[in-house]
Amino acid sequence: MRLHPLTGLAAAGSTAVITTAAGSWPLSLAVVAGALAVSAAGGTARRLLPAAAAVLVPLTLSLLMVHGLAYPEGRTVLAEWGPARVTAEGLGFALQRAVQVCAAVLALLAFSFSVSVPDLVAAMNAKGVSGRFAFVLASTLTLLPAIAAQAERIRTAQEARGLVIRRGLVHRAAAFRLQAVPLVLALVDDAGTRAAALEARGFSSSGPRTSYRTVPDSTAQRLLRAALLLAAAAAVVLRLLTSAAGG
Amino acid sequence: MPLPTGPVLEAGIQSFTFHDGGGPVLERIGFAAAPGTLTAVLGASGSGKTTLGRLLAGWLTPGSGGTLHGYLELGGTRLDFGSGRAGADANGQHRVEPRIDPAKWGRQVGFVPQDAAAALSTVRATVAEELAFGLENAGVPRPAMVAAVARTAGLLGLTGLLDRNPARLSGGQLRRLAIGCAVISGPAVLVMDEPFASLDAAGAHELAALVRHLVASGTAVVILSQVIDGLLLAADQWLVLAAGTVAAAGDPASLGPETGLVPAGIRRVGGAAGVDRGALSTARTAPASTGNAEVPAAAGTAAVPAPPRETAGAGAALELRDVSFSYGPDARRPRNKGHWLARSRNAAQPPRQPLVLAGINLAVRPGEIVAVTGPNGAGKSTLLRHLNGLLRPTTGSVLVNSSDIAGRAAGETAAAVGLLFQHPRDQLFERTLLREVRFGLDRLAGAAAAGERAAAALAAVGLQGAAHGHPAELSASGQRLLALAIVLARRPSVIALDEPTVALDGDGLAVLDAAVRSAAAEGAAVVLVTHDLDYARTAAHRLVALDGGRLTER
Ligand SMILES: Nc1ncnc2c1ncn2[C@@H]1O[C@H](COP(=O)(O)OP(=O)(O)OP(=O)(O)O)[C@@H](O)[C@H]1O
Ligand SMILES: [Mg+2]
Repeated sequence: MRLHPLTGLAAAGSTAVITTAAGSWPLSLAVVAGALAVSAAGGTARRLLPAAAAVLVPLTLSLLMVHGLAYPEGRTVLAEWGPARVTAEGLGFALQRAVQVCAAVLALLAFSFSVSVPDLVAAMNAKGVSGRFAFVLASTLTLLPAIAAQAERIRTAQEARGLVIRRGLVHRAAAFRLQAVPLVLALVDDAGTRAAALEARGFSSSGPRTSYRTVPDSTAQRLLRAALLLAAAAAVVLRLLTSAAGG
Repeated sequence: MPLPTGPVLEAGIQSFTFHDGGGPVLERIGFAAAPGTLTAVLGASGSGKTTLGRLLAGWLTPGSGGTLHGYLELGGTRLDFGSGRAGADANGQHRVEPRIDPAKWGRQVGFVPQDAAAALSTVRATVAEELAFGLENAGVPRPAMVAAVARTAGLLGLTGLLDRNPARLSGGQLRRLAIGCAVISGPAVLVMDEPFASLDAAGAHELAALVRHLVASGTAVVILSQVIDGLLLAADQWLVLAAGTVAAAGDPASLGPETGLVPAGIRRVGGAAGVDRGALSTARTAPASTGNAEVPAAAGTAAVPAPPRETAGAGAALELRDVSFSYGPDARRPRNKGHWLARSRNAAQPPRQPLVLAGINLAVRPGEIVAVTGPNGAGKSTLLRHLNGLLRPTTGSVLVNSSDIAGRAAGETAAAVGLLFQHPRDQLFERTLLREVRFGLDRLAGAAAAGERAAAALAAVGLQGAAHGHPAELSASGQRLLALAIVLARRPSVIALDEPTVALDGDGLAVLDAAVRSAAAEGAAVVLVTHDLDYARTAAHRLVALDGGRLTER
């Protein structure tokens, strides 16, 4: 089956909503495993993992700090420094929250790394997104690759003039110091050029537009999307009801 | 309503000034293009062609882009700019400046900018979608778009590239794409800035045929150029620019070489060269009438001095042994777009890419100049990027001064190999010309020597006056010469030049020629890629052709 980008988006989005609303250990863990499996199968795991780590490590640590150290209902004290107490309940709660957040973030990241941006833009256009907004959408979605391409261009130019960059992230990061200013200037310059071309080729026109790229959609996928959204809504409602009843 | 024979695009420019505080770039220019005619705007570098072309095409809008005094008239609608000049309105009436709507203008005027990459939307993932971009925005139904894309691709030799990523095309392929984007919607006026640059012989032929066809079917075609070739010789009118104003205008017959009305910086090539076939030598011996560059005395008009003899024991400065290469898998877009589950299987096992280079062997001795020619997309630029290690061969090895560069970072190899990129924008990144030339030079030559060398290199290409200017503000030929200065200042033992003649006028070409000869005379091995066979024959000791991934001696 070929997945429509909006179906992917709906799946990732509702998964994130449902796991957050449900707040259940096993479900969250299953979603984490599922997202990792999808991304590994899609060959995007190598890009996904660093991005996920960048988002999740600080988030998890801060959750542990906040809840692990100061959890009012905590009874089982594991350690104590003055007013700060580490309680088993607090740690448990923090871990549960962390897994929940991991699940939501991984689901969304797995989607964003595997979706084809051109398809997404085309699908949005087909849904009637046009004019200025299409412009903003398309340039936002293509911004990262554009920056990466510029940075690569400048790095290549510098290497051709004797800048030695050894393998490895650390060396690249060190060399980036020399690329930062040219990169910003080039991006500004580029934006101007790009705007001229887009403008002259009618990208900001408000009339009806068509799409060359076709993104096949099916009734089944439309139904699936509706079902996913309904499920997400239901999960939220259920959560609100139970917490109202519980509290 | 304009008469059908009246001009469709007209301009009367009293002056045009950029906002940077400099003097007028264009002055006293009258321009008119009628449907079904070919107009050539000729001028040496720095004469204002590109500025005029961008104004005509609506890419440089008066007001935001600069100050125009004069008018532009398109399809019978006239826009008067800066009419309050010289206090003409005695009663001090305030007149609202008209504004050009680039989208509206663009529907009637197609434009191919000098830097083809500037025409790309950059928000489309394949060549086909890029071609269709303007049609999409005009709401053309999909079946009509598909037909138009197929037809345009056929006309420009892009058929095999429709699924490729526009950002990963060769220079000539990119030029074809930019032309396709401009002509696909059938605009009434087509303005092209140096459209033949970087095209191979077949591409130039196809473009000339396309232009003739468009003219015959009623398009007003305007070509801005600094060389006169067979097509432009048959133009309906010439407008010759020098220093921002009209030096001569009229039909080509009245502006022949014997009249001396066309500045010498404007070369005549191919069919237009006439009896005086050494276009290069004409430019070289003629006084520099338009350029402000100080042209170093070139080594006469004779053929290149004989290459150095092979001396026993002396190794080649550059050697390629059985080099093969293909671009990685994500260089091409997978056909199964949007398969976020199924794409996986492809990603795990990338389809094998065709070899761009297939077993290349080449040895260049110190002092030798080798010219590499070949069709667009043959892999010439790819080959040059192997010489300093920016690209690594899949199999085979590259030796510089008899040592394999495989284990070394590109930055280390760069001490011995200088590369002039095909697009100056790939070479330049600094804020001033001087900083640009000095980047990396301090480390190579020491701070004291670096300053001297940088200044000398800028002077050698005639750019000493602009040392503190911004590289982006140079004309295309200025940028090319700056890039050349960058390479020469490093005094590498291997010099690789990717289409160095593109954008250079006669004077610039003389500078290039002198520089290449003197570098070779001092013992550098030079590999230059060019589509200009005349230039290759006069400048090089040896010609090789790259086609189908293989090098053949010719
Ligand atoms: N970064 C890239 N990724 C993938 N393919 C590329 C890339 N750059 C070039 N190619 C492709 O490799 C082939 C050789 O390109 P190359 O730029 O070396 O050609 P060239 O001989 O220099 O052509 P031209 O005369 O047009 O400059 C072409 O088919 C081109 O589309
Ligand atoms: Mg090339």
